[in-house]
Amino acid sequence: LAGPPSPPGQDPHGWRVPVDCVRANELCAAEPSCSSRYRTLRQCLAGRDRNTMLANKECQAALEVLQESPLYDCRCKRGMKKELQCLQIYWSIHLGLTEGEEFYEASPYEPVTSRLSDIFRLASIFSGMDPATNSKSNHCLDAAKACNLNDNCKRLRSGYISTCSKEISAIEHCSRRKCHKALRQFFDRVPSEYTYRLLFCSCKDQACAERRRQTIVPSCSYEDKEKPNCLDLRNMCRTDHLCRSRLADFHTNCQASSQSLTSCPGDNYQACLGSYAGLIAGFDMTPNYVDASTTSITISPWCSCKGSGNMEEECEKFLQDFTENPCLRNAIQAFGNGTDVNLSP
Amino acid sequence: AAFGLYFPRKEYSENVYIDQLAGMPLLRIHALRDSHGEAAHFHLCQNLIISRARSHENHWFQIREKTGLLYLSKSLDREDFNMLSVGNWMPLSKVMLYVFLSSHPFQEKECDSATRTTVFLSLINATAPVCSSLTARQLCFTEMDLSFHIKENKPPGTFHQLQLPSVHHLCQNLSISYKLLAAEGMPFRYNENTTGVSVTQRLDREERERYELIAKCTVREGFREMQVEVPFLVNVLDEDDSPPFLPNGTDTADAVVEFNRKEGTVLATLTVYDADTTPIYPLESSRKKYTGTIITDDPWISETFRVEHIFDEIHFSPNGSQVRGTQHEYKLVLNKSISVTEHRSFQLDVLVNDTEFHGPERSVMLHFNVSILPVSIQFPNMTYQFTVNRNAERFAQIGKICIENCMKFRGVNITYKLLSHNVSCYPVSILQGREDKWGSLYVNDSSVLRRPECKEIQYTIQATDKQSRKHTKTLLTIVLEGTLLKKEEDCPDSCAVSKHHAECEECGGLGVLTGRCQWRQGSGKGITTNYSTCTPSIKTCPDGTCDVIESKDPAVCPQDCTSGNIIGGHGKGTGNVGIKSGHGICYCFPRQNCYCEKDDIKEQLCDDVCKTVI
Repeated sequence: LAGPPSPPGQDPHGWRVPVDCVRANELCAAEPSCSSRYRTLRQCLAGRDRNTMLANKECQAALEVLQESPLYDCRCKRGMKKELQCLQIYWSIHLGLTEGEEFYEASPYEPVTSRLSDIFRLASIFSGMDPATNSKSNHCLDAAKACNLNDNCKRLRSGYISTCSKEISAIEHCSRRKCHKALRQFFDRVPSEYTYRLLFCSCKDQACAERRRQTIVPSCSYEDKEKPNCLDLRNMCRTDHLCRSRLADFHTNCQASSQSLTSCPGDNYQACLGSYAGLIAGFDMTPNYVDASTTSITISPWCSCKGSGNMEEECEKFLQDFTENPCLRNAIQAFGNGTDVNLSP
Repeated sequence: AAFGLYFPRKEYSENVYIDQLAGMPLLRIHALRDSHGEAAHFHLCQNLIISRARSHENHWFQIREKTGLLYLSKSLDREDFNMLSVGNWMPLSKVMLYVFLSSHPFQEKECDSATRTTVFLSLINATAPVCSSLTARQLCFTEMDLSFHIKENKPPGTFHQLQLPSVHHLCQNLSISYKLLAAEGMPFRYNENTTGVSVTQRLDREERERYELIAKCTVREGFREMQVEVPFLVNVLDEDDSPPFLPNGTDTADAVVEFNRKEGTVLATLTVYDADTTPIYPLESSRKKYTGTIITDDPWISETFRVEHIFDEIHFSPNGSQVRGTQHEYKLVLNKSISVTEHRSFQLDVLVNDTEFHGPERSVMLHFNVSILPVSIQFPNMTYQFTVNRNAERFAQIGKICIENCMKFRGVNITYKLLSHNVSCYPVSILQGREDKWGSLYVNDSSVLRRPECKEIQYTIQATDKQSRKHTKTLLTIVLEGTLLKKEEDCPDSCAVSKHHAECEECGGLGVLTGRCQWRQGSGKGITTNYSTCTPSIKTCPDGTCDVIESKDPAVCPQDCTSGNIIGGHGKGTGNVGIKSGHGICYCFPRQNCYCEKDDIKEQLCDDVCKTVI
């Protein structure tokens, strides 16, 4: 079971928890030296890469001052008020400093400290049964029923389903943009004990797995006429603050690691599943189950590595973080089985 | 010359422990050459990048300029460690530094050469483990995959050293030896003395683009022996060294413009192959590298046609192993709609140019035999005759008027017009379909139908091409037939309002042909496109499209045209218009809601009382 919740202001490793970037921005604005340096740095970063920036004395000085300000370590919370503004402030500093061409970027979001077990506890309260013992039923159907019994979940679920299946014209199958927005609202505003059950239910037959695959209305939110190249898709995602942040968060929390038992960073399944769900709203980077197979779980965004030229290796590496990621797969299976890692405090 | 020296891998990684001594070697970086005689010089950027955008001046790491050996120049104590860990969230702290490469000695400590590789150093919050506690895997290889890229057509050279400098330095009493397996016949060699791996000849990506070998490591400690094998991969990087060529030598295609004259029409496609790969991003720059230009002095041709270029990855199999290549497609496309009177034939040449290939055969010429045929605007050799029942109501659809081949036309706009002879009897009108292909005849004034003096009405129909103003005429005869039925009272305007078979066929409504609505009996199975409903004409309503006549009045066919609420089990039509499928019987109140429901009122069964014969 999960350890006791950490005391406020500290994360499990004893480091101080940074303030969010909106607050940090306010703190900086109240202080004349900070605000002027921040302005200078933003001008330095505009349209220049890290190295040219560091060559400039004034920029260098601004950077050194700002390293001591709360702006430097600030983070954002998923689904917080003014999330977009927060991410904008975050990337205004980090864009020029973390090198755009980095394969993995650090997440601008606060680390997730809760555990899957917390969800299971809540889940058994509302369903009145232990999900682990209830092996014969269709878990995905149960999840849909549970969602329908909750007003908020039901409202936002039927909201995105009707938006995503509304046919616009013979050519335009649906409004993808509106569908993504409605999905984002669903995953941001509905508690994860509902959303995860829908998204990560375990299946023993094809009908169940098909229901699981259909959860996000893939014909609108996922599939497209053509499959773009994955690196092209990544570049497009990185031009958008929100998509970039969610992708960085996925890479931070689901990156397969050989140093942990579960292959997940810090053995934290909850964090990986949360970042995965966060990506679904992430515009064209939305991942999904590629088929209704019950034996193997394969996840992928809607892209391929065709046409990668000399970057094929990098493209495959990017794609494999979805298709062949032991951390993600273990996390989904652990959720489906109702098991979490036992952590010694 | 564009490339110069380069690194055979993008990233290197190694662990650094607290209190390791100055002089400790960490890892070896290699560079490959672009031309003979180049010598590599390595250089570190004097900033350590700590994750999350912090940086710190580098006091601890240095690189040997000539050999590429990265080593610890100052011991990293606990205080240094804590300082470098600030801002790191993960339990594992990492610092990143860039190594730069130049063919001449570095003059100043600049930090902005294009050729660089990244080194990740994991700072481990512990003293270095003793050799006996390390596994064979840890003694032999780092965590990173052994995966390299080598550019084609470049001179041979050493690109990796299997032995780990740190392990070799610390665990000198262990015997660690390496072997490269599956290397027979491959252009790679392992040197036992240096543990270096080199490429022995120029590689050709178009021959083979991936080599998979195995690195085997044997650790001996006294009588104990341990072995580890890991994959050793080499990818060959592509450069533009192949000219374009034509599959089967086909460089000519016919492009005929006849009925389809619309802007954007693809007339013909010719394909060009290239053994080189073409990245599809950034798309525009790849398009610019492989151009297709129409060669012409005629401004009319350059205005009327354009060439569209798309490309796709394909696979070639020279000597068994698969390599990627590119298929370029050049499509001749109409840049504007062409008038029906236009008539000419010519050859249109397109020059395809592989701009980055440096050889004589960098371009091919494609030929399109273009024939633009005129099309005639004429009615088929006949006059039209339609019979209309005197009981037909307003918006009843009588028939379609179409010039020859009208359904094949695209990009030709034909307008149909009725010119009447006898002005007093004028019951029908014509409406244009959305694509301007045909005209639909419908009853516009049903009171005229009822007038006894109107029996046979003559019209002239004129069809005009909008662009050329060319027109043609034919005769249309409308014969009125049938006897007038008495109009039922209390009947609604719209057939769609009736929800039962009997009341449907008793009444008329807008759009009916014979004075009575028609009942469509559905299959009655679930939500189906074949639902039961009452309609003015089964032929046109519901048929899934809200046509021009139906859209004139919402009472004609709400089943195809409604945009209001539909209550009950249903599926909406395209663009949220109409009822595509419904449950049971669907009926509508025009301008209000539609309902789809099962008809539950069944005839009462004969009970025991009724069976009893007195």
